[in-house]
Amino acid sequence: MKSRMQNSSTLLKQDFLKKWIKGLQIYTNFKKAKTMSIFERKKAIKLSADVAMASTRNPMTRWSRAVMANVPTDDDNASKILVEQLSGRKIEKKALITCSRKILRRSRIKARRVVRKSTVKASSIAKKLVKNRTRVLKRLVPGGEEMDEICLIKETLDYILSLRVQVDVMRHLALAAERLDPSERVL
Amino acid sequence: MEMSVLERQRFRQKWQQPVTTYFGENCDFLTSNDRGLDEMLANGAMKPDPGMENGWSGDLGSVLNYGNGSEFEIGNAIPRTVSCPPNVAAAMAEVAAGKGKGKEAAMSSAATGRESFKKRKADRTQSLKVIAEEKSQEKKMKGCAEEESKITDQNSNSKSTTTTARKGPAEFPKPDYIHVRARRGQATDSHSLAERVRREKISERMKYLQDLVPGCNKITGKAGMLDEIINYVQSLQRQVEFLSMKLAAINPRLDFDMDNYLAKEIFLGCTTSGPTIGVSSDMVNPAQLQFNPLPQGVLCSSSEMCVNPTDATLRRTISAPVSIPETFLDSPCLNQIQQLTWDAAELQNLYSMECQQGRSTSFISQPLTGFLDIGQVKMEM
Repeated sequence: MKSRMQNSSTLLKQDFLKKWIKGLQIYTNFKKAKTMSIFERKKAIKLSADVAMASTRNPMTRWSRAVMANVPTDDDNASKILVEQLSGRKIEKKALITCSRKILRRSRIKARRVVRKSTVKASSIAKKLVKNRTRVLKRLVPGGEEMDEICLIKETLDYILSLRVQVDVMRHLALAAERLDPSERVL
Repeated sequence: MEMSVLERQRFRQKWQQPVTTYFGENCDFLTSNDRGLDEMLANGAMKPDPGMENGWSGDLGSVLNYGNGSEFEIGNAIPRTVSCPPNVAAAMAEVAAGKGKGKEAAMSSAATGRESFKKRKADRTQSLKVIAEEKSQEKKMKGCAEEESKITDQNSNSKSTTTTARKGPAEFPKPDYIHVRARRGQATDSHSLAERVRREKISERMKYLQDLVPGCNKITGKAGMLDEIINYVQSLQRQVEFLSMKLAAINPRLDFDMDNYLAKEIFLGCTTSGPTIGVSSDMVNPAQLQFNPLPQGVLCSSSEMCVNPTDATLRRTISAPVSIPETFLDSPCLNQIQQLTWDAAELQNLYSMECQQGRSTSFISQPLTGFLDIGQVKMEM
């Protein structure tokens, strides 16, 4: 059981690493990396890692789709190409998504107001606490604002697992890079 | 007289529609048989009829008398003599008679129409029923599937149970009902049942989350658990931020040259200068043992000698305090070392499994020899 789990996680890691490196290569091909500032580089690395993680989990989960949809494609072309290549689909319905999201948010705000008015007399504080925390969690998980509770928890599970994998791989790479770096300075 | 004519017109208007529809249905049949007869009769005795009467009454008569041949002539004759006033009463009678039959015919046609309609309706309802049954079956199946999932989750059984469960769908809603009912003892309407099932699902998944998130085991209560989960997710996200920042700071290029990395990784994993931890070169031995168990006796001594110069220079450049390599297997930090080498090994694992499966075995020894060469060169210098 445990070995199988480890096996699946290593498979996931491999997939993620492959896609991430591919994404980084796309970035390097697109831009002159030397000219980028450290923040730009950081952004590129983070974005490519996120997209790679999302694309490894893409067909199954909603958070990954949300990550894909939320990639800021306006400012530079590279991220768009990245998403398209990694996930294998085109980004077209961006405007539509934002529009529907706007409407959704508005309606949710309205609903929340109504709830607040009605729960003045509500005695259970615990329920309110849970509700507040659920709202926070919804904000944390990408695409979580459109989910119901069951779905949210399921997605959170998956998101946590894949974040773990991402962090693991990134840490390994950072360690490797760190070790490489001083040796390069020496040699 | 006029009244009667009016009445007839009314009758005609009344009966025209069903009859014509009837005609419409059986048109070819009637025209083939009756027109011929009609023509024969008309040629023999009849005069051409005035006006619009002709169209329907003749047809009506022919239709009406088609079944019973004895009345055929009368039925055909009378409507055609309608225009002449003395015969009107008889004509009326006949029309009435015809009307009765027309009624029958119309009734029959209407009845057949209705029957067909009813049949259609019945078919529709049947099909609807069938669909409904299918839906209910699907629902049952869904319920079963949920049940199965629950059962499989609870018992962590294999999928073979699901197939058996699908065969006997009637058995499984029962335990669910009892199970749900046993908890509260009230509120058995569907809404609260559904709500309860939903809550159970949530709590089940929360248990999984509890297992997943570290430090969540002791906390009871949903709010606290959600707090933990939120913290964990936030910390993971921050870690990703931090690591990407770190990576961006470390290498000026964006593409990570993995081959290069792995070479260095193993090279440094073996020597383990460990600038990150600041542990001295006593990592050499375990690492070497782990990676290269075969030529232990010889290699260890030689590689120690080789390693030390590079290591020393390394440490000097990082301005870590130079430690003396005498502390070889004095290992309070052995765990850390092994952790580190394990890290390196895993990264190497990941990459090599992905790209060069055959190469990975030779891959380890290759940098080692290179490293030894470097060391020897340095020694000579």
